[in-house]
Amino acid sequence: MDLFLQALSLAITPTAIAAIGLGALVGLIFGSIPGLTFTVALALALPITFSMDPVPAIGLLLGTYIGGMTGGSVSAILLGIPGTPSAAATVLDGHPMTRQGEASIALGTAVIVSVFGGVFSLIVMIVSVDLVSRLAIGFGPAEIFALVLFGMSTICGLCGDSLLKGLIAGILGLMIMTVGIDAIEGVPRMTFGSINMLQGVDLLVAMIGLFAVPFVIEAFSERPEDKPRDARVARVRAELPKIGLLIRNFWLMIRCSVLGTGIGAIPGTGGAIASFLAYDHAKRFSKKPESFGKGNIEGVIAPETANNAVTGGTLIPLLSLGIPGDPATAIVLAGLMIHGITPGPALFMNHATEVYGIYVAVVLAYVWVLGLQLVGIRLFVHVLKIPRDMLAVAVLVLCAIGAYSIRNSAFDIYAMGLIGVLAYVLIANRVPITPIILGMVLGPTLENEFRTAMMLSSGSADIFLTSPTVLVFFALALLVIGMQLKSELKRKKKPQKKIETSDA
Amino acid sequence: MANRRQDIVLGATLVALALIWTWLVVDTIPPGFGDGEIGARAFPMAFGIILLALAALLLVRVSLRSESKAKSDDPTDIELIEPDEIRWIPAILLLAQIALYGFLLEKIGFVLATPIIVLLVMLVNLRVRSLSKLLGMSLGLTIGCWLIFEKVLGIYLANGTWMNVG
Repeated sequence: MDLFLQALSLAITPTAIAAIGLGALVGLIFGSIPGLTFTVALALALPITFSMDPVPAIGLLLGTYIGGMTGGSVSAILLGIPGTPSAAATVLDGHPMTRQGEASIALGTAVIVSVFGGVFSLIVMIVSVDLVSRLAIGFGPAEIFALVLFGMSTICGLCGDSLLKGLIAGILGLMIMTVGIDAIEGVPRMTFGSINMLQGVDLLVAMIGLFAVPFVIEAFSERPEDKPRDARVARVRAELPKIGLLIRNFWLMIRCSVLGTGIGAIPGTGGAIASFLAYDHAKRFSKKPESFGKGNIEGVIAPETANNAVTGGTLIPLLSLGIPGDPATAIVLAGLMIHGITPGPALFMNHATEVYGIYVAVVLAYVWVLGLQLVGIRLFVHVLKIPRDMLAVAVLVLCAIGAYSIRNSAFDIYAMGLIGVLAYVLIANRVPITPIILGMVLGPTLENEFRTAMMLSSGSADIFLTSPTVLVFFALALLVIGMQLKSELKRKKKPQKKIETSDA
Repeated sequence: MANRRQDIVLGATLVALALIWTWLVVDTIPPGFGDGEIGARAFPMAFGIILLALAALLLVRVSLRSESKAKSDDPTDIELIEPDEIRWIPAILLLAQIALYGFLLEKIGFVLATPIIVLLVMLVNLRVRSLSKLLGMSLGLTIGCWLIFEKVLGIYLANGTWMNVG
């Protein structure tokens, strides 16, 4: 108790609170602009922390991380362009809600459930850090491969009306990510001798191309007779979700929080896998699965809860074992070490006050994010009043800034344009593009973990067949695919009224 | 019927892509050494073969789609709903403009390249003729982004190799 009170005295100071708030604001801004992401924000924030005390310094970094994770939903909902890969699943129902004039409800719900997921995962972390870290560290390459394969099976739930076209899209995403230098052997793959192609296609560049460029093409090619008379989007009210909505979906929020925390605790997985798995889970167990993709609030609640629950989950291996799960937590790890806090089993003995201070900082970061977003909703929704063609010009410039800033390379801008035009053609042919993103997010991990597992087992498949965890995930993947095939066959036998959905 | 035609073109294109991809993978990427080392070629090749199979299945399904179904007057049948029109000219035009933007960012930097591209896009794509709108958007976006990103957030925008402002 004394330690906790000491931690409170370190974390609840004007400097610490201001640092966390600044981090949350910067993270929100970076997370909401496609291509920038909170990893860039963290890299920029790290040097600022050098002269600060440990708790405010780590608070600034955690605030940036948490703000960024939440910020991705803003552009996902308003524009249909995810700010971060973790928000790609939020586009599916968040943007249709905007088109139905419910942008502020979607944004408000997203931020509230994000805070819920984040605080839930923090509580799980506090009470079970030891147990969860031991379970998570038991995940070897075979187990991670099986988990990612299970994640890939959720493509089936993202295919809209054509399972076949959705699978084709997923394979295209997997293929794109093989271009470049092979991570294990270092051989160039499909680079055609080009130095630029050696670096491969960056995920963020592809994401911007897939979502933003079709939006810009459609806005620029809209004829006056195509513009809807009933411009519901222009009638925007800053309205927050009712408490009843949250209570009705409370059990879904709990389930997605558990999912996100568990996935976050496994190094190398991340928010994107958690959000897609949560979306698929919500759709599968929903009373109205056919309404997903058309503006169902559950399609916003599930991914946003899960991807923020990842934040607490990633702190588990980070603090208990010193293992960062992704580049963002690697920067947080660097921040910890610079301030003399060495993560690992001894952390809780040697720096207990600072650890409790970190817990308080996470809570404060979520309070800041909640406040900033709820106030910001009133401003964000006014973005929708901007004429679409002018907004598209601004989006074009912002996306070019985002794409260029990743590697300071014009090649990324060329790649963004080309991928975007291809995405526009695919969308016109009713090929969903969300599975492409899923393939791109999961592809490198899928391949690298499989190859590592095979090398460890000297080519024997026993490494997959003798692990209960692997078999469980394989079975779940087969179950998901089987259920999707069954419902696809049922749908084909019985003609039903279908409403077209658009991915852009 | 446009739906069926478009699906045939899509399927054929994907089959061709898969064949070319698989051939290039086999031709340019060395195989693994065995004993668990499956090599850099395995996954790209597998993806190419899977794409070939799926694209071929798409072609077969489209070809087998019965004439009676094509003549159906059920307006809600998904396979009969007209695909979106592909507006090729705006798409290719935008691709060219994005490529030009990338080129100009490298050569003359963000502050000079951005107003040029914004003006180009507004004049050609959107056919805006109002001087106030043109100047407002081009200068406003450039200065606004430069101030926010470079000065406030500390993100270095592109510097040109030929010349640079800001």
